[in-house]
Amino acid sequence: MPSPTLHGSSRTRKWVLSSPPVEWATMKLRELLINALRQGPVPQHVAFVMDGNRRFARSNHIETVEGHNMGFEALAKALCYKAGVRVVTIYAFSIENFKRPLHEVNALMEIAKIKLSQLCQHGELMDRYGASLRILGHRSLLRQDVLEAIEQATEMTKHNDRAILNVCFPYTSRDEMTTAIRDIVSSSTIPHTSPPSPSPSDSSTSTSTSASSGRTATPGLMDIESITEKTITRHMFTSGCPPLDLLVRTSGVERLSDFMMWQCHQDTDIVFSDCLWPQFDIWKFMPILINWGVKRRKLEKERGDVEVRGVGMGMGVGRGGGY
Amino acid sequence: MANASPPPPPYSSSSSSAYPPRPLKSALRSRQQKPPEVLERERALLARLPAADLSREKPIRNFLATRFYKFVLLTIHLLFGIYLKLRWAYHNILNRGLSILYYHHRTPQLIRKDVKELEERGKLPEHVSVILEYERGGLDTLIDEVSEISCWCASAGIKTLSVYEQTGILKSYISTSHRSISQRLHSYFGRSRPRLRVHAPPLSSLHEPGGEGREVDLEVIFISEEDGRESLVDLTKTLCDMAQRGKIASEDVSVELIDAEVTENTISEPDLLILFSPSVVLRGYPPWQIRLTEIFHVQDNSGVGYQVFLRALHRFAKTEMRFGR
Repeated sequence: MPSPTLHGSSRTRKWVLSSPPVEWATMKLRELLINALRQGPVPQHVAFVMDGNRRFARSNHIETVEGHNMGFEALAKALCYKAGVRVVTIYAFSIENFKRPLHEVNALMEIAKIKLSQLCQHGELMDRYGASLRILGHRSLLRQDVLEAIEQATEMTKHNDRAILNVCFPYTSRDEMTTAIRDIVSSSTIPHTSPPSPSPSDSSTSTSTSASSGRTATPGLMDIESITEKTITRHMFTSGCPPLDLLVRTSGVERLSDFMMWQCHQDTDIVFSDCLWPQFDIWKFMPILINWGVKRRKLEKERGDVEVRGVGMGMGVGRGGGY
Repeated sequence: MANASPPPPPYSSSSSSAYPPRPLKSALRSRQQKPPEVLERERALLARLPAADLSREKPIRNFLATRFYKFVLLTIHLLFGIYLKLRWAYHNILNRGLSILYYHHRTPQLIRKDVKELEERGKLPEHVSVILEYERGGLDTLIDEVSEISCWCASAGIKTLSVYEQTGILKSYISTSHRSISQRLHSYFGRSRPRLRVHAPPLSSLHEPGGEGREVDLEVIFISEEDGRESLVDLTKTLCDMAQRGKIASEDVSVELIDAEVTENTISEPDLLILFSPSVVLRGYPPWQIRLTEIFHVQDNSGVGYQVFLRALHRFAKTEMRFGR
């Protein structure tokens, strides 16, 4: 139980923070910072593990469902497209989460349905950012009505092309990798003569390679030696997205928990934050972004030095080219 | 963030003084016949109009704005850099203190004492993994670090240690490493040193110096980048080949199948991954295996240290595994 004085002070703080001049000032400050951040290197692809909704609910004595609801609102606040991020991927629901109590799973599904349609309404959040919605994961595990809501939501935001919001709905990374491998295996057994192939780009590359070096390939089938890391990456749910630059996990748990393992195990900066997800907002995220920028700038400088020595070119103007 | 509190003088002053003239001039030219009070009102109004629709025809203004934002960003980076330096200094003093406070003195008994509490609670990891860097100190340092960590693991009672090093150079120095670790174990334990096996994944089942059935106290496994993505690519190739020859159907490819194959060919999922780098970057660590692995690092730390190892074990013991529940 919070003491009365503490309660009072937090109320006055809230009152001060919500007073028009202060609100206006924070808004301006936020705008200024975001505009400033845009000038430097900005991660193109950010992933969040939205952890801590239930713990937040428990510690604040509110319903679990309400905690999840607040988590969704926190997401809206943390969406950082304005700073120049192009793709945001969030871990909304793990396949493992189906093990939770049935009423909670059902409640989560209901929240998902409502929020999806809310997000994607004309003129709402997604439209304002010009972002299209994609649902990644093992969809066949979902109920029919949720599937319909997903279908509708993706359809409504399809025309937005400035940014992408990936929602990993029933997702695990191992399932994603398995699906990718399974897809490759099944496409490898389909003869080239039949035109429909799961991914057009893949079939074209494999035909060209098998035509040039057809020693190991069974005639008419995909050349196995043409399979590389890139082939698997292309079959991931995130294919077409820029490489993952930053992964943020809240609530102090320092584990990946089956999220984006294929995407984040190379150069991605992984940040574990102690705050619970419903408390996460732009002010918590800003230092992480700045830190990333400082680091990336240092890296670019090192790389730039090598380049300057090699090519003899001037200042590092080439920002944004590689990333 | 504190740096942004001063109001933005260059931008705001330039906007209020530089931008009225041109629209006003054109307005004056086109509306000469208007009475002066109307003009006055227009002038007042123009100064208050939002800049949004005018910015397009104002390249100078845009340029200035960009300059200003760049300046703000530079200030932010500068201040943040100072903050990072201070944090680094603070953490380093802390780490030094801890490493003096907790030193093993090459005595297994001391290490045992440090982890006793964890062992009693049954919270000691069975499989610990570490990421080491070759570029930092060269091969000798690397093997030295491996030997030290192996001794800590042996003293703490950890059965399996996998050492990830991106380039895989350790794999070609297995016997050298084995000798080095054995010597170090001898200096820790004396005559009754624990039995040791050192190997690397591709050779695991084929070349085992001691034979299959021999029970060991510490197993050290060297892994590298090729045990990550590359091994999954190889697995995909094998599966494709089998599918093309009709031995399996694509539906047979399941998480369990891949997990079994990956575990057999490389390493199993470690319980704890210890990074000795200042931040969390996995540098190509095998992706399949880090599913629920606890990832530990000490902020701003760089370099292998016993206190980092010990803190990792303590941190591991405190966390609860929830498996999505």
